Amino acid sequence: MARIEINHLTKNFGGLTALDEVDLSLEKGQIVGLLGPNGSGKTTLIKILNGLLTPTSGSAEINGMKPGVGTKKIVAYLPDRNALPDYMTSDQLIGLYKDFFEDFDSDKAGAMIDDLGIDRKQTLKKMSKGTKEKLQLCLVMARTAEVYLLDEPIGGVDPATRDYILRTIISNYNEDAVVVISTHLISDIESVLDDVVFIKNGRVVLHDKADHIREEKGESVDQLFREVFKC
Amino acid sequence: MLGKLLKYEIPELGRKLAPLYIGWAATAVLLGLAVGPAASKSDFMVVLSGMLYSAAATAVVVMTVITIIQRYSNSLLGDDAYFNQVLPVTASEHIASKGLSAMIWVIVSGAVMCLTGLLIAIFSGSMAEFLRVMPDIWRDIIMKIKGEEWLILLEILIMMVFSLTKSVLAIYAAITIGHQAQKRTTLASIGAYIGVLFFETFVGRTGMSIFPNFFRNFDIYDMHKFFGGGMLITAALCAIYFLICKYLMEKRLNLA
Repeated sequence: MARIEINHLTKNFGGLTALDEVDLSLEKGQIVGLLGPNGSGKTTLIKILNGLLTPTSGSAEINGMKPGVGTKKIVAYLPDRNALPDYMTSDQLIGLYKDFFEDFDSDKAGAMIDDLGIDRKQTLKKMSKGTKEKLQLCLVMARTAEVYLLDEPIGGVDPATRDYILRTIISNYNEDAVVVISTHLISDIESVLDDVVFIKNGRVVLHDKADHIREEKGESVDQLFREVFKC
Repeated sequence: MLGKLLKYEIPELGRKLAPLYIGWAATAVLLGLAVGPAASKSDFMVVLSGMLYSAAATAVVVMTVITIIQRYSNSLLGDDAYFNQVLPVTASEHIASKGLSAMIWVIVSGAVMCLTGLLIAIFSGSMAEFLRVMPDIWRDIIMKIKGEEWLILLEILIMMVFSLTKSVLAIYAAITIGHQAQKRTTLASIGAYIGVLFFETFVGRTGMSIFPNFFRNFDIYDMHKFFGGGMLITAALCAIYFLICKYLMEKRLNLA
């Protein structure tokens, strides 16, 4: 059974179609790049998988389950915004995650936070945008989840932090999991991707192995992206 | 999981309301000192401290309601929902945790009101008099209330808890319905709340038309019927509002 199975998934917002008959099947043990320009439907797809949006039609399943309590136990989600309580410190947030997620490793989270030099006693409110993003990622990646859904994890951070984030993703995910990274910053993440999904105007226009793209087409994923999404 | 949600929910509301309680208590002390025997009996000071006390009381009432509304709206349907709605927790547990903590803080606000009364009595120097007359008043109450009247008092107390629950859940239902409109959700929630009030009026009138002779003698028996019927209707309304929130959160959630 595929970790993520999406069939004829459509999502309309009033007259706007954000996802249009999307079919996608993602297996475990790979890092998948969900790539597309702004407004292509990447975030909508990830929000539906997290149960934050209700599909107009079609289905999205994780381990054969519709989004719900069962899937939330095994999905680690990094949203495209800060959603953590901003009055809490890093230590308190570790406690919060520990309370709700059985697969959360407090020691691992603490080690990552220390590694990044984040003050554990400082509240989220007083942290910079980049530090907040790093902290959120540490908390998410400290889970031994079966599915990681990372929405724009490298969007608003400096290149050095991007490298750290990508290293964190590669070194912390397990072979039984699938990691989905949504972004439009292809060149930064290309090296870590196993699978590539191009999404354009709410439709999946390409789903292939990153290596296959490079061998078959003789160009990088970034170059192909620029061709496909040429304005 | 409900216990874990409450562990974070109750202090979060308290964190916002505690400063207001402290401010309210301070104005009560000021008012007590202004009307006490040691004061200069300046009318200006009495009026000013009285106004401050009233303003603080109003602020606590208004802020309690606003905080309860904001907490539900932001944490389950706003930006904070991107964390809260991905916790492995059922919609029922989310709604129950918000409702229970809201009720607890409404009751605490009531308790703080009593405390401010006590502070006024202490700092105005009338505590000794208060302590002297209280046992007599209490004894009178005990003597005058007999047998079944205690049951009526208990029914009133239960009815108050039911009504409080119903009021909180009615607000939550209106907010959740309002969020179905993707734009102008605040306006839509206010509209939904007006709809909820119309619905409650309709239910009340229908109930009275079904039982036109509900009150015949207005005796103890009628009182039991009144509170018993009221509790049933209020409990039914609580269930309806709870189910509306649960259904929309489980089947129609669409975070902006």
